[in-house]
Amino acid sequence: MDLALLASTLVSRISGTRTPADGQIEQRVASAAALATAVWLVLLFRLFYLQVVQGEQYRISASRNSVRTHHVQATRGIIFDRNGEILVDSRPSFDVLVVPHETGDLSLTLERIGRLTGLEAADIRQRVGKPVGRARFQTLEAARDLGRNGQARVEARRWALPGVVTQVAPVRHYRGRSSAAHVLGRLGEISSSQLKSRRYQAYQAGDVIGTEGIERLLDAELRGRDGGTNLLVDAHGRELELLGEIEPLPGKNVVLTLDQRLQSVAEAALDETGKAGAVVALDPRNGEVLVLASRPAFDPDRFAVGIDREEWSVLRADPRTPLHNRALQGQYPPGSTYKVVTALAGLEEGVIDEDYRVHCAGSFRLGRRRYRCWKRGGHGEVDLHRALVESCDVFFYATGVEVGVDRLAHYARILGLGAPTGIELGPEAAGLVPTREWKERRFGERWQGGETVSVAIGQGFNLWTPIQLASVYSAIGSGGLRYRPFIVKQITDPRGQVLRETQPEVVGSLSVSAHALAQVRSGLHGVVHEPHGTGWVMRRLPGGVEAAGKTGTAQVVALAKDPPKDEEDIPEAQRDHAWFVTYVPAQDPRLLVAVLVEHGGHGASAAAPIAKRVAVEFLENEGELYARY
Amino acid sequence: MPAIDRRLIQNFEWPLLGLLLALALIGVMNLISAAPETGEWIPETAKRQFYLLALGLLALVVSLVPDYRSLERLAFPIYVLCVGLLIAVLIVGPVINGSQRWIVLGPLRLQPSELVKLGLVLLFARILARQETRAQLGLLELLRPAALFAVPAVLVLRQPDLGTAMLLALLAGTFLLVAGVRFSTLLWLGAAGIAGASGAWFFYLHDYQKERVLTFLSPERDPLGAAYHAIQSQIAVGSGGFFGKGFLRGPQSQLDFVPEQQTDFVFSVLAEEWGFVGAAFVMLLYLGLIARGLMIARVSKDLFGAYLALGVTAIFFWAASINIGMVLGVLPVVGVPLPLLSYGGSSLLTCLIGIGLLMNISMRRYIF
Repeated sequence: MDLALLASTLVSRISGTRTPADGQIEQRVASAAALATAVWLVLLFRLFYLQVVQGEQYRISASRNSVRTHHVQATRGIIFDRNGEILVDSRPSFDVLVVPHETGDLSLTLERIGRLTGLEAADIRQRVGKPVGRARFQTLEAARDLGRNGQARVEARRWALPGVVTQVAPVRHYRGRSSAAHVLGRLGEISSSQLKSRRYQAYQAGDVIGTEGIERLLDAELRGRDGGTNLLVDAHGRELELLGEIEPLPGKNVVLTLDQRLQSVAEAALDETGKAGAVVALDPRNGEVLVLASRPAFDPDRFAVGIDREEWSVLRADPRTPLHNRALQGQYPPGSTYKVVTALAGLEEGVIDEDYRVHCAGSFRLGRRRYRCWKRGGHGEVDLHRALVESCDVFFYATGVEVGVDRLAHYARILGLGAPTGIELGPEAAGLVPTREWKERRFGERWQGGETVSVAIGQGFNLWTPIQLASVYSAIGSGGLRYRPFIVKQITDPRGQVLRETQPEVVGSLSVSAHALAQVRSGLHGVVHEPHGTGWVMRRLPGGVEAAGKTGTAQVVALAKDPPKDEEDIPEAQRDHAWFVTYVPAQDPRLLVAVLVEHGGHGASAAAPIAKRVAVEFLENEGELYARY
Repeated sequence: MPAIDRRLIQNFEWPLLGLLLALALIGVMNLISAAPETGEWIPETAKRQFYLLALGLLALVVSLVPDYRSLERLAFPIYVLCVGLLIAVLIVGPVINGSQRWIVLGPLRLQPSELVKLGLVLLFARILARQETRAQLGLLELLRPAALFAVPAVLVLRQPDLGTAMLLALLAGTFLLVAGVRFSTLLWLGAAGIAGASGAWFFYLHDYQKERVLTFLSPERDPLGAAYHAIQSQIAVGSGGFFGKGFLRGPQSQLDFVPEQQTDFVFSVLAEEWGFVGAAFVMLLYLGLIARGLMIARVSKDLFGAYLALGVTAIFFWAASINIGMVLGVLPVVGVPLPLLSYGGSSLLTCLIGIGLLMNISMRRYIF
């Protein structure tokens, strides 16, 4: 290698010495010198090329031109209901942007934009901030969502506004406004704590992300990939050359199991009561969620362009808690809907059978205390069937006390209570299944016998969420299999090609005898169709379909010695929560509806009519629905 | 250490000191140009760099005084200290711009990934100097050095600092070649490297990390990020022309077109204001420094000194050529500071200690 030899001689000349070090070292130092010289020659040549050969050209682009970086937002994926109805998509937003480096006097330009658009100059200034460094060469948002006319006013005067650019960008649009708001969720800017978490490690400050619901759950799929351009512009803002471009990639679409028509019917019915509440409807054959309604709700559209601070704090401070998803997070005593647990426990443990009878004289005595039945006159002689049909408390007091709280808890757990149902759309509350051990751990107190009495009819410490109620009865109605409720049916690419499809998943089966289950189901059928049945509202469905169900009335405060005759006399906050759960048809159900009305009073009168409206809508459109999908 | 040997003074390493001072002072002056417009005549960064230079010269003197051979015994403890600092960074270091690189002690910010370069060079020099056989190395003999390289490299990657990790790999590679390795071993290493990289690619890396690697390999994939830096840097350098625009007259740099212009892209400021004449002059100063370092390696009286001098010179050579190559658009954009010119105390300190070690070896070449 000539070069190596040359460098080696060079080095020895400079040093003028010879050392006995090591022949190998000497040789390798020489190679290193050659390598260094060669690399440097290449770099020097490149320097010469850039500065001397091409220097003139670069001087021109340096003195007159600048590179403008424009961020292009990707269009978020569309969210459909099960019938292909669009729930969320994007609408155009007319925006005005500024490139601070090109504007000359930035604050004057912002003031002019304010005058043209009618916006406060201070707001615009705050939005743009004080850009330094590279940000001065980027298009920065000055005003968003102006409407076509506002933008046109700026557009018409662009000749006098150097460095001002307009764009049409997608902004999220929730078609049904507050409908299914808790399911769909909302958008917001990523927080600094989120930026540090592993889940968001590919995100950057300033990114808009889904902060709740499906928008949050499937943010990675929905968001797509933003793009942008680097444009060479001259001193007048004329675009000379496209230096680089990344095409934005639209997000993937999501198809939900939700049925928007049923959802609207449920929401309208809840809203008519003027009370807070929740409706959950499932397909008991696979766990698909058809309705997941929680009222009051919020309007996610308000978050799409960025909600203002004041509106946000009003929303958060609202005593009716519109941001709270009652269907998944609301925990309430189940009331009489609990009685299926007591019934199954009694049958399975051999405490009762179909011939077992209790005389209900309107109250039950345990020790020195008396526990009233809801029917003051009493039900007389009742067996399990009648007790379910007429919701006799005394029968279940007696059964529950015999079974004991810990065995009741065992059966509650078999039904999936005391744990989240596992629906992918969190967060979800676990509810509460009380036991002796739990009470001692929680309160450090012994379990009282009377507490078992309350638990046996779903009062006391019991807490269920509406989705748990739906899940329990859907397992009973479908003959024992409990599916994980799910709401995301498919994820598709922007052309509709299915990328991922959720498969139904069995998460539990009721390990009780078929005989016990059959007796409970026959009781639930009787609730609707037999004389004195509390669920009579569900009779006369379209097509002669027969339903089964159960009412529930959950006490908010302990029964007074002498309750007022008229329900209207009880203060709203002390009124009972109303439950109703039904599956349709009673044999091989295709629909399950669970309804909760907070402080609604009686399940039969407040909650059951809502369930019926959902069931009627379902049955009337069922054929069409499945034909379309 | 007995009384200072007269021969130490006679053999004082003036040329290297001259090259060092020339480059460092050009660096401080260049930082005056590179600082963002604040209205001050001498910007804060240039002042700080100047004070750090004074402080660093003190460190240089300290690293001159003891015989470098005493460092041979300390090589392993120093290495362990560097690795300890790297671990400490990942535990207590604040996250700045998405990476953890510094240990903050009051007003001081220490960047251990700079010091670890010297630590690694010291340790490798010791290992090679003690290698008994002079035969070419096989796979087994390489296991220990490979592990000693991998620990700091992985820690630096965790920060993440791809540039420094790459530099460590180049240093290890330099020693590998200098030490002499069997050809079949090189083949094995190559195969293992490819297997490891593809394994990581398919099973370990996230999509966005793959994207970063791809962008690193071809910046055109990211025309708004890495390629933007490259374009702006080339415009700045090219517009400098033959004689440059003059001190403080580079509009590209003055208007903050060039990103990271005080640190990784500082050379583009120099090239813009001083033109081909100035930039080539500085590059020749570097080449002189490297040649002098190699010469010291050659004349060193013992193997440890030779390897140490070679390693320190390699730090300068690789960092400077990668950095300048990046600024001139012939290499992808990676964050490697330009020795002595980029703003940054830890980097400057490392350079000065390195030069101190070279001078130390040079001055003791006749003492036995």
